[in-house]
Amino acid sequence: MNNIVIENYTAEFGESFTLRDINWIIEPNQHWVITGTNGSGKSALSAILAGAGEKLSGSISGLPERVELVSFEAQAELIDRELKKDDTDIMDVISEGTPVREILEEGKADNPDFDADLLEELIKKFKLESMLERSFRKLSTGETRKIMLIRALVNKPGLVILDEPFDGLDVDSMTMLNELLQSQIDTVPMVLVLNRFDEMPDFITHVAYTDKGQLHHTVDIKDEQAYNDLYQLLHLKTTNLEVPETDDSDRPPALNPEDPLVKLTDIKVAYGDSKVLDGESWVIEPRQHWQLSGPNGSGKTCLLNLITGDHPQCYTNDIFVFGMQRGNGETIWQIKQYIGYVSTALQWEYRVSISVRNVIISGFHDSIGMYTKSSDRQKKVADQWLKLLGMEDRADQPYNQLSFGDQRLLLIARAMVKHPTLLILDEPCLGLDDINRQLVLALIEKICNSSDTTVIYVNHHAEDQISGIKQFKQLEKLA
Amino acid sequence: MSNNYFNTLPLREQLEQLAKCRFMSMDEFSEGVEALKGKKMVVIGCGAQGLNQGLNLRDSGLDVSYALREAAIAEKRQSWKNATENGFVVGTYEELIPTADVVLNLTPDKQHTSVVNAVMPLMKEGSCLSYSHGFNIVEEGMQIRDDITVIMVAPKCPGSEVRAEYVRGFGVPTLIAVHEDNDPKGEGLALAKAYAVGTGGHKAGVLMSSFIAEVKSDLMGEQTILCGMLQTGSILCFDKMVEKGIDAGYASKLIQYGWETITEALKYGGVTNMLDRLSNPAKIKAFDLSEELKVIMRPLYNKHQDDIINGTFSRVMMEDWANDDKNLLGWRAETAETNFEKTPAGDVEISEQEFFDNGILMVAMVKAGVELAFETMTAAGIIAESAYYESLHETPLIANTIARKKLYEMNATISDTAEYGCYLYNHACLPLLGDFMKNIDTDVIGKGLDLADNGVDNARLIEVNAALRAHPVEAVGAELRAHMADMKKIV
Repeated sequence: MNNIVIENYTAEFGESFTLRDINWIIEPNQHWVITGTNGSGKSALSAILAGAGEKLSGSISGLPERVELVSFEAQAELIDRELKKDDTDIMDVISEGTPVREILEEGKADNPDFDADLLEELIKKFKLESMLERSFRKLSTGETRKIMLIRALVNKPGLVILDEPFDGLDVDSMTMLNELLQSQIDTVPMVLVLNRFDEMPDFITHVAYTDKGQLHHTVDIKDEQAYNDLYQLLHLKTTNLEVPETDDSDRPPALNPEDPLVKLTDIKVAYGDSKVLDGESWVIEPRQHWQLSGPNGSGKTCLLNLITGDHPQCYTNDIFVFGMQRGNGETIWQIKQYIGYVSTALQWEYRVSISVRNVIISGFHDSIGMYTKSSDRQKKVADQWLKLLGMEDRADQPYNQLSFGDQRLLLIARAMVKHPTLLILDEPCLGLDDINRQLVLALIEKICNSSDTTVIYVNHHAEDQISGIKQFKQLEKLA
Repeated sequence: MSNNYFNTLPLREQLEQLAKCRFMSMDEFSEGVEALKGKKMVVIGCGAQGLNQGLNLRDSGLDVSYALREAAIAEKRQSWKNATENGFVVGTYEELIPTADVVLNLTPDKQHTSVVNAVMPLMKEGSCLSYSHGFNIVEEGMQIRDDITVIMVAPKCPGSEVRAEYVRGFGVPTLIAVHEDNDPKGEGLALAKAYAVGTGGHKAGVLMSSFIAEVKSDLMGEQTILCGMLQTGSILCFDKMVEKGIDAGYASKLIQYGWETITEALKYGGVTNMLDRLSNPAKIKAFDLSEELKVIMRPLYNKHQDDIINGTFSRVMMEDWANDDKNLLGWRAETAETNFEKTPAGDVEISEQEFFDNGILMVAMVKAGVELAFETMTAAGIIAESAYYESLHETPLIANTIARKKLYEMNATISDTAEYGCYLYNHACLPLLGDFMKNIDTDVIGKGLDLADNGVDNARLIEVNAALRAHPVEAVGAELRAHMADMKKIV
């Protein structure tokens, strides 16, 4: 058997959907799951293997002669056909419809490879004997699915595609179907389309993830890290995200809603003779999300640190934050209580021995590490965040043993946990791989749309746009 | 020549002052920074302590500015750059000191006499002079004007840590004291407490001590276990590994990061926990080595403590000050030439556990040094809490500095006083351990025990475990660590 090689393949499915720039190799002895959110193109991707879609460019080579596609649509078609055959009303005789055996043997006539022995074997193995003479259309969904699959397998295809094979099946039927697939893994490569990751059979070797009509990632199951990241991403994408409630017992003093959150006036920052900011001003009103951009060295982080109080020259500039004019005896903790903050620098600085759960709780205290007792309520909120991130099973693990991406996700949760008045995300995706980038963006988008938090989002990448952000500030590097 | 204040006191008073040390409870700090609110704090010295304490105090809402010598301002020296780039008001002594309610003397020990002599005439009637170290008062016998309140606020960490911990939302353990001869208005304690809050120290635990107890214990800890033992240990362990054919890059890395890793275990659970990280046979081996080391090194620890108590150490060191630091600078240069210093850490992975398994001798050295320093200090009348802070507690901080900067920079980072004592210790300890090191092989440093199985004799293991747990540094340590909220929560 050959590799199936798809190169730069673009195909149209009707007018509404295009699958773009697919590059994918399926090797013999691999079994794939294609997954992704609804409408991301997973079924379309599987269907091009069965010749569906109108090719616009690219190539597919190495496809076996016979590809069997078992899908909800195929099943519906077959049942539809059976219903049309039912001429009970016209003939006024009770039609039983096509018996199961006939359906199973349909391929026999024109397929020389049809494997009658395998058919008998499978009938026996899955105890279908009693079912053979019954009408196909009277079978249950699970039974129908099973028959469809056996029907596909006995045709001895070079590839079987199963689009949502477990959809609508009860636990017993799923187990049975799983056994059936399991029994055939050595004879034919399989491609399963699955919405739900937890339905993935054990024999799957690779996962393909589709998003917006593109094949975004392929992950080898043995690559545990990549697999876990993908799992989390799907979890986040397919769960109806709700930003957890916060602990209201320790809210900072309410702000005057008429005041801007932040008012920076004619900001000047220099180190020795080199100017970083020269005359910059910025007013941030409540619920006005901003995107801040600019080349490296244009002073983005510096500007943000003036707001958070982390830049020492905040005391020599005209800075009004959260009702306080800086340099009048306020403490940085009075300022930080209104702010959630994430940056790569924070991740570097967050080097303390601490559990995953406590990283999130530390957001209530604006601290790196935990130095005061946490309340039960705070723990509960933290656990809700962990659940949201798909990390609830790792609550008590040491934070420093997590992957870079997971650490970043936790720090974003830490920044959000108190529902801060201002959430500053300084290049939150920096250093993240594609999967984690998707995950982080999904989370931020949710936050922008579903809370009273005002977001400042710093990034370099045009493709990492957040839909809720309407204000843009661009900094230029000073000469 | 200066007049040693401690030596002028009667024995009864000496013992009373040495034994002063009380761990303060959090609710003693409920006033926050109130006692300093609106007062003008002027810092002298803009090095690591000066700058970082100032940053913390300002971020706590206090009014901080920096007084520098005219020359430092005119020539735009580093101290001037430090202060101005951080947005502080900077002025000369003449401009700022007369306006100050509190003058924070954060210059190096050896400048204290000249600095205090320069600022005292400029200070406001009834103002406050604060130190971070009592050397000038205790060892040099500096007399302060009667109307001035004299306090000490001594964060038990390098300046960079003082800042880093504050920014994390915590602080570093801090020792405060009031010089009883100079507390005319009885406000010394209130000011010292507010200052400790301003630097974040109250969150990590504050010890109420005396100038004398601080000086005599601080000098002892820093020159023996903290800097001296780690310096000597680094040199001996590295040279031994290379001699026995272990890759120099690996050896360098094992030592540079090993101290930090093993003393992290010390920080969390004392000597007991540090040894519990070893396998049973390795633990017994480390215990035996440390017992042997303690016998060899005890006279050296006694000598250091005696020289500190009777003033010999400070006298000899001040002679070197007067001699343009000839010894200090020479010894510093020698440190740069050690093989360990010159060999960069290799690009090899060493897991956390491997630092213990392959560093049995390092564990033994830390145990021996901590216990000896503690035993020697308490035998000299310093009470257990002080002795704990100046030995076990601070060891991980120096280890951390070595991990980041190795020996030369570690020595340059710590005070000149600590550095001078460190070299004294090192020079005496290297030959002292010569014979001991001859019997050392890679099973205890570099490769770990090569055993077919981990079996040990029950009775021996019980004996070792009991001995570890029964040491007095463990009892006081358990109590003090329990006070430190962070330890409770994050473990």
